[in-house]
Amino acid sequence: MEQKDDIYYIEKVKSGETNAFSYIVEKYKEIVFSIALKVLKNREDAEELAQESFIKAYNSLHTFKGNAKFSTWLYRITYNSCISEIRKRKMNFASTSEIEIKDESEELNLDGIPAENRAQVIKQALDQLPEDEYTLVLLYYFEEQSIEDIGKVTGLSESNTKVKLYRARKKLYTIISNIMKDELYTIL
Amino acid sequence: MSELEDIKLQALLQSMQLDSPGEKFSARVMNRIFEEDSVFEKIKAERVLGRGFWTILVVFVVLLAAMFFMAGSGAQPQEETARLLPQVNETVSNSFNSFFGKIGSVPLSVAGILIASSILLFIDRIISSNSKIFAS
Repeated sequence: MEQKDDIYYIEKVKSGETNAFSYIVEKYKEIVFSIALKVLKNREDAEELAQESFIKAYNSLHTFKGNAKFSTWLYRITYNSCISEIRKRKMNFASTSEIEIKDESEELNLDGIPAENRAQVIKQALDQLPEDEYTLVLLYYFEEQSIEDIGKVTGLSESNTKVKLYRARKKLYTIISNIMKDELYTIL
Repeated sequence: MSELEDIKLQALLQSMQLDSPGEKFSARVMNRIFEEDSVFEKIKAERVLGRGFWTILVVFVVLLAAMFFMAGSGAQPQEETARLLPQVNETVSNSFNSFFGKIGSVPLSVAGILIASSILLFIDRIISSNSKIFAS
């Protein structure tokens, strides 16, 4: 249904109703901005990059044939814009190596996190994930994109996406586990 | 990592509020798009061939027509040379005639190359100045 909605508004834009593009902007602005913010770590720069991504998408809309999901196509533009910006600024995509994955993370029970803290803990944990893994987790869990679509966005093979996503998930659990331990020590 | 935990993680992540851009973000994006569209419309409205081009073309056609009509009239080059330079010896006269004879065979190929390169440059200029039109 969502894809049908997207196609409907895209066709409107293509036929000259530029205003219909505002539906696309409203629908995807948060996720596009979140990816940009994670990479650039600055709200103003992230807004600028998100804006550029939407304008690029608008200008290239005639090349979108509807074979893939529009969201996948838009996220790919955003992801590539982020990579270009990083290269321009001579920054690096943060490496995940500094976070040691522990086996105990397998045993983490999310129900153990107090309900009132859950959102905060998850946000804190996501903030600690490196940019590439954050994007994978966001697209897979938040946006419910398939492994194949995530591969299209990031330019990774399906098997590589699966491996990276598995590692990202374990790392997220490790970070949550560490946050919970720290909170427990604070209470004690 | 159990499947159940994975589902719980998904539910937890989806309940999370993502960072939002500023309130006027959508309006700013749409304004930029409208601005770019108006520039595009302006480019489309501009005439591809300006007044200068048509002036040069008219002058060129007029000159060509004049040359065509005047080609048959007047003295032939050889006769003219002989009349103007009666005292010049035969060698100089022959060299003079042979030089202009050789030049006479050049124009067709040279003109062809010049016209072709001019047309290519002209097309290139049109395409590069209206890249947005050709892209859509």
